[in-house]
Parts: sequence; structure tokens; C-alpha cells
Amino acid sequence: MSRVDRVVIVGGDAVAWLAGISLHRAFRHRGLDVAVVDTGRGKNTTNARWTLPSLRGMHSLIGVQEPEFLRRTGATFKLASEHIGWQGDGSRFLHAHGDIGTAIGAAPFYKFLLREQIAGRRTGPEPYSLAAEAARLGRFARPMTGADELTSSFTYGFHIDEAAYVEYLREHAIRAGIRSVAGAVASIDASETGRIRSVRLESGDAIEGDLFVDCVGLSETERDDWSAWLPCDRMACASAPPLANPPPLTQTTASEAGWTWRVPLTAATAVGHVYCSAFVDDDAALAKLASVAPEARDLRVVARFHSGRRRRFWERNCVALGQAALELEPLAGADLHFAQLGIATLIELFPLDGQSTVEGVEYNRVMAEHADSLRDFTIAHYRAGAARPGEFWNTTRVAPLPENLAHKLDLFGANGRIDVRDHESFEEVDWAWLLLGVRDMPSTLEMQMTSLLESVTAEQMEPLRTHIERLAGSMPRHLEYVRHQVSAPGRGTS
Amino acid sequence: MRPPLNIVIVGGGTAGWMTAAAFASVLGQQKCRIRLIESSEIGIVGVGEATLPHIRFFNKRIGIDERELMARTQATFKLGIEFVDWARLGDSYFHPFGAYGSRMAGVPFHNYWLRQQQAGDTTLLEDYSLPIVASRMNKFALPSEDPAAVLSTFGYAFQFDASLYAAYLRGFSEQRGVQRTDGKIVDVKLRGTDGWIESVKLEDGSMITGDLFIDCSGFRGLLIEQALKTGYDEWTKWLPCDRAAAVPCENASPLTPYTRATAREAGWQWRIPLQHRTGNGYVYSSGFISDDEVASKLLSRLDGKALADPRFLRFTAGRRRKTWNRNCVAIGLAGGFLEPLESTSIHLIQVAITTLIDYLTDTPASAEAPFDPRTVDAFNRWIEMEYDRVRDFLILHYHATERDDAPIWNYCRTMDIPDSLKHKMELFRHRARVVTYKDGLFLEPSWLAVYFGQRVIPQGYDPLADAADGAALARKMQQVREQIQTAAVRMTGHEDFLRSYCPAIKPAMTGARA
Repeated sequence: MSRVDRVVIVGGDAVAWLAGISLHRAFRHRGLDVAVVDTGRGKNTTNARWTLPSLRGMHSLIGVQEPEFLRRTGATFKLASEHIGWQGDGSRFLHAHGDIGTAIGAAPFYKFLLREQIAGRRTGPEPYSLAAEAARLGRFARPMTGADELTSSFTYGFHIDEAAYVEYLREHAIRAGIRSVAGAVASIDASETGRIRSVRLESGDAIEGDLFVDCVGLSETERDDWSAWLPCDRMACASAPPLANPPPLTQTTASEAGWTWRVPLTAATAVGHVYCSAFVDDDAALAKLASVAPEARDLRVVARFHSGRRRRFWERNCVALGQAALELEPLAGADLHFAQLGIATLIELFPLDGQSTVEGVEYNRVMAEHADSLRDFTIAHYRAGAARPGEFWNTTRVAPLPENLAHKLDLFGANGRIDVRDHESFEEVDWAWLLLGVRDMPSTLEMQMTSLLESVTAEQMEPLRTHIERLAGSMPRHLEYVRHQVSAPGRGTS
Repeated sequence: MRPPLNIVIVGGGTAGWMTAAAFASVLGQQKCRIRLIESSEIGIVGVGEATLPHIRFFNKRIGIDERELMARTQATFKLGIEFVDWARLGDSYFHPFGAYGSRMAGVPFHNYWLRQQQAGDTTLLEDYSLPIVASRMNKFALPSEDPAAVLSTFGYAFQFDASLYAAYLRGFSEQRGVQRTDGKIVDVKLRGTDGWIESVKLEDGSMITGDLFIDCSGFRGLLIEQALKTGYDEWTKWLPCDRAAAVPCENASPLTPYTRATAREAGWQWRIPLQHRTGNGYVYSSGFISDDEVASKLLSRLDGKALADPRFLRFTAGRRRKTWNRNCVAIGLAGGFLEPLESTSIHLIQVAITTLIDYLTDTPASAEAPFDPRTVDAFNRWIEMEYDRVRDFLILHYHATERDDAPIWNYCRTMDIPDSLKHKMELFRHRARVVTYKDGLFLEPSWLAVYFGQRVIPQGYDPLADAADGAALARKMQQVREQIQTAAVRMTGHEDFLRSYCPAIKPAMTGARA
């Protein structure tokens, strides 16, 4: 039985470094040798990213201190995503990283909102969410556990300058003792059974390993094609001056053939455009970006992609992570989240020996469910609820929905119930934000919920709303909070 | 809002009365009018006299007082199931209602135990399970709410007389407005246009109409199958047992806080101690043994004097193709049958009831078809998932055996199993990893109990378990064992506990034995 003692990671993006640091930390006790073939950040990357709250867990696991991280990466906090124009011009909704109201007995609060909307009363989740209200006011404070349950009713992600983040992680990795070899891969040396023995670099050096982690897409294997649902295939980005009062939220705005984004950083505002090349050419897409961000500089097309995922992420002794595994527009901000799941699952299923295959089977089963659920959540932005008109938008609504998503939207449409199954990253409350936001109203509600909410009136919710308003208003301005954080002395960092 | 839904429940066994009680209590008379039709001429099967801890959620949701329930049903406590002679003759293992040790550094405890075993440690995995240690001592205590306490590491269920349970729920339901009709159904009238059930006709000629019919008529599926021809997926090739013989006997002391399932020459035998008697039964495959032989074997293997003649039941393992078809929902044996090896019968009834309550809508989809097909499909998918997961777990007991002393075991040991189970077993055998899921029955400790108990022995374990310091780990594990031992010794004897907590109250109406 041959032990897996050497892991070679190919790639130089955030995913590669996060994988390197995590594997190294997890298997220090057995002296696992981790090498990163640093292929650089690649051209396929945007200037900024927005993340889900789960990145905080990853950071704390690998010893990243938040103040230092914020300082080094020009990061700001993210309490929500604001989606503008997705149901037509003038529409907008928020998906906040936090609870909607507080449970009414056994009924989740959003059921009350559904009941109100079914009855034709205009109401939405935002006034009942501390995260949403703070995002609206441009204010931020970290959640706290204490006497007031609302102060712990939310969580947060980040907006990050991508180049700075990669550099920061690279330094962190090297300090941790990970070997790094810069260079591009020229060829792959595989055994008769197809297992990779080494990667040969353009310099001529061969890097041998027992297990390979592919963050660049070394090999072509079968893919699931998702472009029928998610036809966007290009990304452009640019950098605009920083906002005077940046809100702790990511903004996406529907365009003629895709959507643009705006991400506030401390030193800049990153903007971008995700679009479908069948409907708009690169020049027009860049022009669109320039029109939404007139002060932006350095406009460029950065990525050509094809929505889909690998059928088998783990093949023989090679595990694909990040963009090598999944190509999905960053609407939900889940790219790093998916990579983290891949890393965590790889650690949990780290092969006992070089020959076993059962780990790969399990890994592929679990990660496929993860990937498909992220796909479904993304598609739901296009497909649930009120629809934006337009040629491009019409084409996104042609293909029959993936089965699980169809089931989910069907059930919700029938009785307002949100079923979340195994290996779904987005929880009931996330779906509630989305479905309430896109005004995908069920025709009726569960009998039981109606009973529970029988005597509940909107007036009774007034104290909750004003309490949230007051709490949010008492938080510091977002930028002040960030500045205060980064000036705090860092702990345990070199 | 819809006018009250007219619900007609057909059949008054465990499934029927659980359904009536839950609907009456959770939705109430404003939302539904419930009529239950049962015939005092037709006996009830009285499925599963042993339950799972989940039943306590059900009781709580519908407002049943647990102590009263126990006193009225001659109930005892249940901390798990003892499996005897399953992997090899002479083996005994427990499937406990509780975890083995606790995770350390995010790694499930059993990996550390395996690591220590490889280093020469000889402790048993069951030494790290409080409900098992307590069961072996015939002790019981109510679990603690304090998550730091070792007494919080287990749950419990009940062993009760199913006919008394049905009688108790009948009283509970009638107090909440459920109408009971004594009568035998002789005909089911379907609507010409779409085949929905319009009414059922009783022997006395009366017709009972309804919006929603719940078929709790047992194996025969009076509505779901005989009237609606829904179809049934058979799982006999994996679960070959198709009959059972049941017989009560006198108690032998002490009353065990657990159910016992002993593998036999053509199936297995259950033993469920109640306060007033012990329930026994032999579940078998008619292809491997005759009824007469079963009867004599069963009678010769009782703790005490038999209190009745053996009663025989026939069934086919499987699931109705649609649990909810048109305006009929099949609950209990009418919906599917999985042998009571893991006491899942009442649980599957509970799941069907609570899921149905969860899914029912406030306004009808339309006048002709009041139930939205999207709701119906979602409901059916959910129930399917529940059945399929239980099925795999049951098959594991039969398949993972080394026994070659009887044809049934040779068959099961070598049969082809579902791919989903094959993968689970392979992963466990390779590295002690349990495939877990968010919904559905049986969490990691259950799978561990049965894998290890059935001698599915892992070759390796999670390499993350090697990160812990060996000496510190050994100390920690010793501490866990001692805590459990001490806690178990301090518990009360099961019989004493019952005597002071819920001594049996003689029922006013002594129902016929199920």
C-alpha cells in the first residue's frame, strides 16, 4: 500500500493557495509535502470578488487574522447583494446574509410576509432584517451574541481586491512552509493506468507527486453543459474611484445581455459585466460597462467561460478545484465557497493510499450535489418570479428547469414551502430572500401556517421594524468601521 | 380560506388513530372535519410495538402527555435494540439511541477508537455509548437537557401495546371532535370524470363522502390499491421475509429497556417487553420455512408461558408507487411495508402524517381538483426518499453476515444489493466513513452500530485522527468510559423507574389483543 505523501497543486489563484495552506495544516502531523506549481493568477481573473460568509470559517481555520486581511486586501464587508432590474427596469431586491424577522411561534417570519403579499398587501423582507437595514443605511458592525437576539441575526462576507488577496495568501502559504515553484506546465507524465506521476514545467523541471490538485483545468474530461440555462460566457471588468460612502453590499444590475456588478473596496470601486457573446460583442459590452461606470479605467475583457461543471472532479489521482471544476457566473458570490467545499471534502476523504478509488466516487457524488445546487440557485435568479423582458432574457427562460430546481419552485408555487435537501449551500432563508425578492408568489399557503398566523397582524410587527431601524442606525458608517478595523494592531502576524 | 376539509380515514388501527389524533390536534375543527370508519369485526394488525425516539416529537406536537400515554399502554422504555446472532451465531450487538463518544477536532469518535484498536487497545466501541452500557445493566434515567452532561448523550423511545395505543388515541381524538363510524366498507365510488374517490359505501347502505380519503386499511389498501390501482414496488429480492407469527407471553424479570431481535433459521424473532407481558414474533420467509415449523419454534423460544395462539400475518416488502394518489393518501401498511426489524413502522406512519399536515394548503387549487398536483408530487417524493433510506439500512442487516448455516443467510449474504448501499458499505469498509444525509432516518451512530455489529470491519480510518497526541487520547478515552460507567451505575433499575414514573393503568375498554 503506497501512502500519499506528496501533493502537487497546480495553479496560482486564491483557490490554489487556500488548498495548499489547508492541506498542509490538516496533515502536518504526517509530514505531508505540499508543493504549489505557481502558474500565476492567470488572465481569466477579475479584479475583485465578493464572497459568502463561509470564507470567515476558512480564514479562522488557516489562521488568517481579519484586521490584517482587511488591510492587505483593501476589503470591505458585505451584508447583502442588491439585484437591480432583474424583474424589469425599476425593480430591485436584496438578498441579505441574515434572518428575516424572528420566528412567529412555529412559523418562520417569511410565511407572514407571504401571507401579506398573497392578500395583496405590499410588504417585503428588508424592513424586518437588521442586515438589510444596515446595508441600506451604509452602516456596519459585526454580529454580537448578547441579550438582543437581533444583533446575532446576521453574518457577513467580504469584497476583496483579488490581486492583493492572492498575493496575501501566497505569502501566508510560503510562511507556512509550502514549497512554491513558479512556472507554466508544459506536459504531464502519466503512468499506463493514467495516473499522473509528475508535471513537467516549461523550465524542464519535473514536479513529482502522489496526488495532484488541478486549479487550472489540466485535462479535458466530460462536462455537464449548463449554457442552456446560463448562457453568459464572458466577463469584463474595470476599476473606478472609491465611493465616498461605500455600502456594505454588492450590486448587480441587469443589462441587455447579462448583468453588471459594482463591488466597493476601500481604495477603488470594482465594476464588471457578465454577458452573453451571442447577443453582445466585446466592444459593446465594454461600452456598456463604461456607461454604467463613466469614471472607470482599465476596462478589459477578462474571462471567456462556458457554464458547466466537470462530471468527475476527482479522476484517478487528480482532483479539480475551483474554476477547473466549475464554471459558473459569480452572481451568487459562491466561487470561493465551492472551492472551500472541495478542499474540506478532499481533506475529509484524503486518500488512505495511492490505489483506492472509493474516495473519488464519494467525493464526486457529494461535490456534484453541491455544484448543482449552486447552479440551481443561480438559475433561479433568471427563472423564478417576475421576468425581465428582452431577447437575451427570453432565451434564458426556454430550457426546462433542472429537475431539483423545478421541484423546489413547484412546491413553493403550490404552498409557499421551501424544501432544502442534502448538500445545498443556500438555506431556507436564502431562498426566501430570493423568492420574495423576485416576487415568486405562491398561490396559497400551508394550512398549518395560516392557522399559526391567524391572529398575527402587520401592526404587531411594527415594534420589530422600528427596533431594527434603531439598531441599524446606531451602527458606525461602514467605511469608518473598516478603517477602525485596519488600524487596530494585528495579532500574531509577522 | 377553504371551508373545513372533509377528511375520511378508513381503518382504525395505529395508523388510523395516529392520523386522526394529529389532524384533530394540529389543524383543529376549523380546518378539518374528520371521520374515521372502522369495523369492530375486523381486527387490527397493531404494527410495531416498539418505537423510535422521534415519536416523542410527534407526541409533543399533538399534545400527548408522555407519562399518561405510557401508563395507559403498559409501556416500557426503550434505549435501543439488541441484535443477537446476526453476523455470526453467538454475536450480540446494540443499536443504541445515542452517539458513541463525541467528535474531537471535527473527527467522528469511532476513528480514534479504531486508531487505538490498531495500537492494541481492547476496549469495545459499546463502552463509549451510555445507552448500551445502561441497557446491559437494565437501567434507565431520563436524559439531561445540559449538552455538557454525559446524560445528554442518548434518547429514548417506548415499547407499548399497540392496541392500547390505538385505543388511547381514539379517546384523545374523539375528545377533539373526531367522529367515529363503526361499519364495514363494501364499495368505493369513484368520480366518472377523473377517478377521484367520491364516497365509500358501508354495509348498512350509508354513503360517506369526503374531500380527502386517508387509507389506513392495512396491507390490502382498500382505497389506494383495490379502488385506485396505484401499484406497488416490491423489494422482496432484498428483503425476502413475507410472513410473521406473533404471540404474547408472560414476562420474565427483569424488564429490559430494549427490544431484542434474534436472527433465526429463516428470518428473525422479536422480543418486546411490556409492563404486563412480552410481545414476541417470528418474521420469516415462507420460501425457507413452513408456518407450522415457525409456530413450534416460536413457542419453544419464549421467556414465559404463551398467552395466546400464534397469529399469522402476510406481507410483501415494498412501497406503494404513489403514497398520495388523486384524493387518497395511504398511511401505514396501506402505503408500504418494511419489516419491523428497526421499529420503523410507526415512524413511517408518523412521517407520512406530519408531512401531509405540513404540505396541505389553505385554499383548494380548484373546485374539481382541490389538491395541487405540485404538492402531491412533492409529498410523494419525500415519502419515497424516507422509505428508500430505511430500506437500505434494513438490507444491510441481512446482507452483511457471515452466517452460512441456513439457506436464507446464504441467499442474503450473496444477493445483489442496491448500488446506493454497495457504495456506502465500500466506503465504510475502506476507511470507516459513514455516508450521512440531512433528511431521512438513521444518522451516523445507527450506521456505525450496524456496520460494526454486522462485522463490516474497516481496513482504515480517517487519517485526521492521527493528529491527536496518543497519550492524551488514551486518557481522554478512558475518561469517557469512566463517565459512562459511573452514569450508568447511578441510573435507576428500569423496572423501578417504571413503577414510580408510569405504572400501568388498566384501560376502561380492554381492547382485543392485536
